[in-house]
Amino acid sequence: MPDIAISADKLTRKFGKFTAVDEISFAIPYGAIFGFLGANGAGKSTTIRMLCGILAPTSGGGQVGGFDVETQPEQIKTVIGYVSQRFSLYSDLNVVENLNFYGRIYGLEGAALLGRIKEVLELTGLDPFQRRLAGDLSGGMKQKLAVANAILHRPKIIFLDEPTAGLDPLSRRAIWELLYQLAEGGTSLFVTTHYMEEAERCNNIAFISQGKILKIGRPSDLKEALQGQILEVTCRPLMKASHFFSSLEGVAGVTVYGTTLNLNVTDRQAVEERVRAAADKEGIEIAVIKSIPASLEDVFSDLSQGIKRGNFNPPAAEQERGNRA
Amino acid sequence: MRNIKAIAFKEFIHILRDRRTLMLIVIMPIMQLMIYGYGINTDVKHLSTYVYDQDRTYLSRRLVDAFTQSQYFTVKVNANSIRQCYTALDKGMAKAVLVIPPNFAGDLLKKKGAQLQMIIDGTDNTPASVALNSSQAIVNAFMQDEHLIPVQVLPIDFRPRLWYNPDLKSTYFMLPGLVGLVLQFLVPMITASAIVREKERGNIEQLLVTPIKPYELILGKILPYIAIGVIIAASIITVMHVLFAVPIHGSVVTLFVMTLIFLIVCLGIGLWASTVADNQQQASQIVMFFAMPSILLSGFIFPREAMPLWVHHIGYFIPMTYFLIIVRGIILKGLGFFDLIGQVWPLLLMAVLVLVFSIRRFSKRMT
Repeated sequence: MPDIAISADKLTRKFGKFTAVDEISFAIPYGAIFGFLGANGAGKSTTIRMLCGILAPTSGGGQVGGFDVETQPEQIKTVIGYVSQRFSLYSDLNVVENLNFYGRIYGLEGAALLGRIKEVLELTGLDPFQRRLAGDLSGGMKQKLAVANAILHRPKIIFLDEPTAGLDPLSRRAIWELLYQLAEGGTSLFVTTHYMEEAERCNNIAFISQGKILKIGRPSDLKEALQGQILEVTCRPLMKASHFFSSLEGVAGVTVYGTTLNLNVTDRQAVEERVRAAADKEGIEIAVIKSIPASLEDVFSDLSQGIKRGNFNPPAAEQERGNRA
Repeated sequence: MRNIKAIAFKEFIHILRDRRTLMLIVIMPIMQLMIYGYGINTDVKHLSTYVYDQDRTYLSRRLVDAFTQSQYFTVKVNANSIRQCYTALDKGMAKAVLVIPPNFAGDLLKKKGAQLQMIIDGTDNTPASVALNSSQAIVNAFMQDEHLIPVQVLPIDFRPRLWYNPDLKSTYFMLPGLVGLVLQFLVPMITASAIVREKERGNIEQLLVTPIKPYELILGKILPYIAIGVIIAASIITVMHVLFAVPIHGSVVTLFVMTLIFLIVCLGIGLWASTVADNQQQASQIVMFFAMPSILLSGFIFPREAMPLWVHHIGYFIPMTYFLIIVRGIILKGLGFFDLIGQVWPLLLMAVLVLVFSIRRFSKRMT
């Protein structure tokens, strides 16, 4: 078995003139959790659909479990598990009936199937709810069932499309513990998520926006790259400050955290001076300015603000500069 | 094969858990049997009749008896005036009025030629024409029986006879056709909504990433509904035969095979509707859109012979048109497969076309 579970090589998908996924490349080894981050419509689901073999790429290619996404989609389907964003098991079938059905679709039968169902029920803690209709399960249990269902046939690769969306923190933690267990067993997990603290839990993450991968790497490396570039400014009034600081030279982005602002800066020393000067002029009260280590959220906002600047100038900012000149 | 079985099994659980579909499957055939077996009876009998007998003789009473014994007329009131009769007609209390003038018997015996009047409520054309024809026949028979006309040798000895349904019972006509009606409504409806439901609830998303093939999914989903369709058809035919005493002259096996072919057409329509519709409501609307003209134009109730030519031709594109001729032919006339070949091939052709078309459409939509 090759070490690489999932790989993409300039994978591209166009819908008419619209490019949903634009030449993305990555490689995910077995036993790793790969976090795929991006806003809605960034191309996450299209990527998953191509990798699962249900959507043909327009160009480029990829391999999943050693099979080619373009020529061997049917083989791919036998070696992957899939947890969809929306609960898509049968709500009028009970827990065991659902597992029974999918188990049989994946070729399990008789005692082997029963034994495996028992295993996954124990693993996910759904044991006491065997006879409950899937539709009557709580949100967290539904997701557990979806995971249980995805691992029935012992796939070495699992795709999870926002598996924790809309769940309470406890259920989210339970799902992640489950995912860790699976990864420890050598399974490769491809997870899309909106939650930054979940992204921290991944071995590798990729940020995707408008079909392109902006950054890819280990969470710690990505944060490292922003080392010394985050200024935490405690000041008042906060929103006014955010407004003025964001238009200062050398400030790549401003994120509001409760009573403080995080500024992504390029040159710490120079920006600090400019911030103080702007504060004096606009009547903003500054309590503390300090440099802090970057979080993934900072990485994400740095990236997304980078896109905004790169691709177009927001009309409001444009006007702002015009007024001051 | 294993996949097909797994899907069919799961589908049966869906059906058993879905009260609405289950009710539809059980209640609809029963309701239709009641309506067409007991409710809609086009046999015109016991028309409420007022008699204004101004003669009051032995002969006039014999004439009224002849009317009563025919069972087409029931004398409700012996009226005392013509006005009373007119009022009864106006109010709908009488559908027919028999007026026997004074000296009816006297004129007859003197061979002077007596007069007799019958007024029929012509509002509803069916009972009116039955009343008209039967009154004529009754009076003719009466004249013969009472030796009022000389026995003569007619140049043409005309003896019309009714075959297949000698008593002209409407249940004979309606109930075999009911198999077609119920299947045409029910089967596409439940098939379409069963498939659309998977789309609507997002189940299809999970199925797509499994190694299941489109044809396995279709067959697995369709098989339970074929079984249900067969059970429904068999129950209707049994009730028709046992409860309503409609004789089955032809082969039950041929009937079964023909029903199966028609069932496949119905399933195909449902499958097609499911590829067009986004939700269950749309699916049932599409099915209704096709079922309604089928009922009206196929000859289920209204004879196609009476339709304008272009409407008559539309009937040739309706599967039920052929199926009705087939079931009525087998049940009432005892026809066999080869007698019906002219109806069987169009139906088979439709089955193949609809199924191939909808399966291809379905497979395309799945990816």
